[in-house]
Amino acid sequence: MSEPLRIGIYFCWKGTAPAECLNLSAVATYVAGLPGVCRVQDLGSRPNPDPHFWSQEIRRQRLNRLVLAGDSPGFFKPTFSTAMRQAGGDPTEVRLASFREHGATQGEGTERAKAVTACAVLGVPYGLAAVPQSTTVHPDTLVIGGGVAGIQVALEIADAGNKVILVERSGTIGGHMAMFDKTFPTLDCAACILTPKMVSVGQHENISLWTLAELESVGGRPGAWTVKIRRKARYVDIEACVSCHACEEVCPVQVDSEFDSGISKRKAVYLPFPQAVPNAYIIDAEHCTRLLSGGTKCGACLKKCLKEAIHFDEEDQLTELEVGNIVVATGYDVFDAGRMERYGYGILPNVLTALEFERLTNAAGPTGGRIVLKSLKLNKRSKQEEWVFDPEGESPGSVAIIHCVGSRDHNYNPYCSRVCCMYSLKFAHLVKEKLPEARVYEYYIDMRTFGKGYEQFFERIKDEGVFVVRGRSAKVGTQDGRMIIKGEDMLSDHMLEFPVDMVLLAVGMESAAGTGELAACLGIRRDEDGWFRELDYNIDPTGTERGGVYMAGACQGPKDIPDTVAQASAVAARVLRSIVSGCGRESRDTLPLAEIEARARALAGVS
Amino acid sequence: MAVLSNPRLIGELEKYGAEHVVKCYHCGNCSATCPFSREPFLFPRKSMRYLQMGLEEKLKGNLEPWLCYYCGECSEQCPREAEPGETMMSMRRWLTAQYDFTGISRLFYQSWQLEVLALLLVAALTGLGFWLYGTTHGSLAIYDGPGAFLPASAVHVFDWAMAGLLAGLLAVNCARMWWFTLGREQGMRVPLGAYLRHLWLLPVHFLTQKRYRECERKRPWAIHLALMLSYLTMLVLIMFFLEDMQRGPGISWSVHVLGYLASLGLVATAVYALRGRLLRRETHYKYSHETDWIFLILLLYVALTGVAQHVLHRLGLPLEANLLYLAHLMGVVPMLVLEVPFSKWAHLAYRPLGMYFSCLQAEALRARAPAGAGQPVAHNV
Repeated sequence: MSEPLRIGIYFCWKGTAPAECLNLSAVATYVAGLPGVCRVQDLGSRPNPDPHFWSQEIRRQRLNRLVLAGDSPGFFKPTFSTAMRQAGGDPTEVRLASFREHGATQGEGTERAKAVTACAVLGVPYGLAAVPQSTTVHPDTLVIGGGVAGIQVALEIADAGNKVILVERSGTIGGHMAMFDKTFPTLDCAACILTPKMVSVGQHENISLWTLAELESVGGRPGAWTVKIRRKARYVDIEACVSCHACEEVCPVQVDSEFDSGISKRKAVYLPFPQAVPNAYIIDAEHCTRLLSGGTKCGACLKKCLKEAIHFDEEDQLTELEVGNIVVATGYDVFDAGRMERYGYGILPNVLTALEFERLTNAAGPTGGRIVLKSLKLNKRSKQEEWVFDPEGESPGSVAIIHCVGSRDHNYNPYCSRVCCMYSLKFAHLVKEKLPEARVYEYYIDMRTFGKGYEQFFERIKDEGVFVVRGRSAKVGTQDGRMIIKGEDMLSDHMLEFPVDMVLLAVGMESAAGTGELAACLGIRRDEDGWFRELDYNIDPTGTERGGVYMAGACQGPKDIPDTVAQASAVAARVLRSIVSGCGRESRDTLPLAEIEARARALAGVS
Repeated sequence: MAVLSNPRLIGELEKYGAEHVVKCYHCGNCSATCPFSREPFLFPRKSMRYLQMGLEEKLKGNLEPWLCYYCGECSEQCPREAEPGETMMSMRRWLTAQYDFTGISRLFYQSWQLEVLALLLVAALTGLGFWLYGTTHGSLAIYDGPGAFLPASAVHVFDWAMAGLLAGLLAVNCARMWWFTLGREQGMRVPLGAYLRHLWLLPVHFLTQKRYRECERKRPWAIHLALMLSYLTMLVLIMFFLEDMQRGPGISWSVHVLGYLASLGLVATAVYALRGRLLRRETHYKYSHETDWIFLILLLYVALTGVAQHVLHRLGLPLEANLLYLAHLMGVVPMLVLEVPFSKWAHLAYRPLGMYFSCLQAEALRARAPAGAGQPVAHNV
């Protein structure tokens, strides 16, 4: 180097003030001691944007390197680069220490901020200096979530000969995919693809499948996590139960079926669906008369079960075990369409959400796959009339599909849920296939058919005679007992108003309930939309802040099935790499500051 | 023929209040929500597009902003927070500036300081004029009758002269509005008969604002109607019964009771609107342009000084009454001179005209279009 470095460190904030968990004076004192630092100053929120002012300051202090540190210092870089040029310096010598980018605004904020700033002062990228230490890895893997992502991860790892513990919150694995009728754009039967995989999971010698189980706590270190798992009582012995239905037939309690998305009923003792894995009945503690009464009432199923599989005295179990890697595959929840009152969901009987339609059109659904309108039927139990799907019901003559329900909307979720356009087109196809005479209207904002074969699928739908209206419908109105959909078709410049019999709401995806608790439990971060935050959007989309914790599928962001499966396999590869090599990496936040600084000094060639 | 685009238009409209229009992604929710958005005028989305694309001439001939009464539902439902309702409001401001042939309106909308300065200047001139007239022709101690400081007869003549001037200015602007929307375009030519057939729309919309009532929320319509009727009553009283109004100190119930009602209406609605704009709870009060504040403050000032001079006169304080009368005139004259032809108040003419012209435009469009166009077709596959 021709001349000695004279470095000025300026703290500047795009927000109002440094994050609360940050001790700025400690950071300033620390970085002031680094070689070449001549000036450390906190400029506060939004510093003077005049480059001329700063060029004078640079000249006065004879600085030849600037470090801008703060929540989003890139915001102010143009000002200081110009100032550097005006002062006759090298504009590339304006270095950034972004606390937000490197997670210095959460948790161990101060130590991280020191490290990030030190790296910028030394001119070394933080990612190069802060390389986590490697650790030894326990060969077992914990997979949280038994949807298609979790199933894929578990099978990949188990097939490679390693133990997997698959933990699922509900009573069966399969997740949302098991509920779907067809996949897009290939129109394969979703259950035909998924159920063999589910069976493989259930029978795999390397997979311990724990349903009705949730992660309670996590301890230990990357590569040697100690996890505590709560296994809730099923009240039915999985080994003994042969799914003979005897219990179900006598159970007097009826509740909405979760698997059929509420469009059919199930009993308090139930099998979620015929292909459920494990294929054993569950007693729903929230609705079972006997459990609610403390063991005094009912008990009809107990008498009927020939296998003596029912044990009302079963209790929750807490199991502690050691695993090397943890894979989060908790999926998503669908947007609650009732939040958008103007679409009449929950008020108008034939306004359905996407999942309800998936079950309606599914051959294993309550109507045997017939697309019918709800009809008013007397419920013998409650003596009240209810809107229900009757297999003999009337078919709709016209169906409207409204896109972007709850997505791309600043009043709800600002992001695009990615899958809704395609599944809406799939719905249009399914309606046309089963009811060729029916008129189908798609009300869309932008048609996002981005994947392989998706655009061709869209073309196919148009060929089938679906009316694709470019305009969002503002509400579902009623006129003479029929629903009216009004929307501006921008392409023809006309306000279109169609009477329809059925409305399908293309609801978007949201981060699953409990995501926040799980993130806190695992010590991983979430983004502003609630999804788990990946370590690096571009080059590490499956990794997290913590070593040995990965994520797969829609818990990282909205995703369709092919992307989910691809990501799940990618995670499996990363887990297997650590198992095979026997070493993984530590979490970044446990890296000691002194070590990062020493590495950065070595890389910068500064003693 | 390609349409000329003005890339600076969007920046220009920002000064009129359309700050969020770039966020619009054209989902059409606003147009589908709006109860007024009917064939062939689908708004606000299309107007937002004209603005985003800088289609200045298209926007100039666009009547849709005048068809919007700003109930705010589009803004509340907008998924992008693009504020379509406020954008329409801003377009009305911009159109007012475009119709105005003097260019004064544009200056006022773009710089409130200039508008305030102009108001003060006109106020000073008014004050000076009336002061000189009053002190040379009468006495400050006499309110009415012979030797009055500001005799009703003189003010009456002045009122009519001012009304003539303002009507003239506004008429030219209205003619320009006609030219932009109907006159200059070949496709918008309609026979004279159509003009006569729809003429009834003008008084009906002016007096009842019945379209405003079609909004789902009725209160804004009621408030606006109360303000308009109060103002109209006051105008009629002043233009035709000024003599009776000023006579005192007794109360002549036949005219004064109307005056009281009108004053009450003006003060109440002005206070209501000011409160709404300060609290910003309702969507149509969420954003306020400087001209909105100026208008409301002036209105309240004029109403209060008018009431005060009347009360002082009845209390037997002619000197104080005269001074407040002068203050009242120093408010009312600049308000009328500047607001009616050049600013917010011009909508008293543009709105009914917008309804009227839109009917004619629709007729022209119908004549041009093939039969059956614009009707939703029953689809059979």
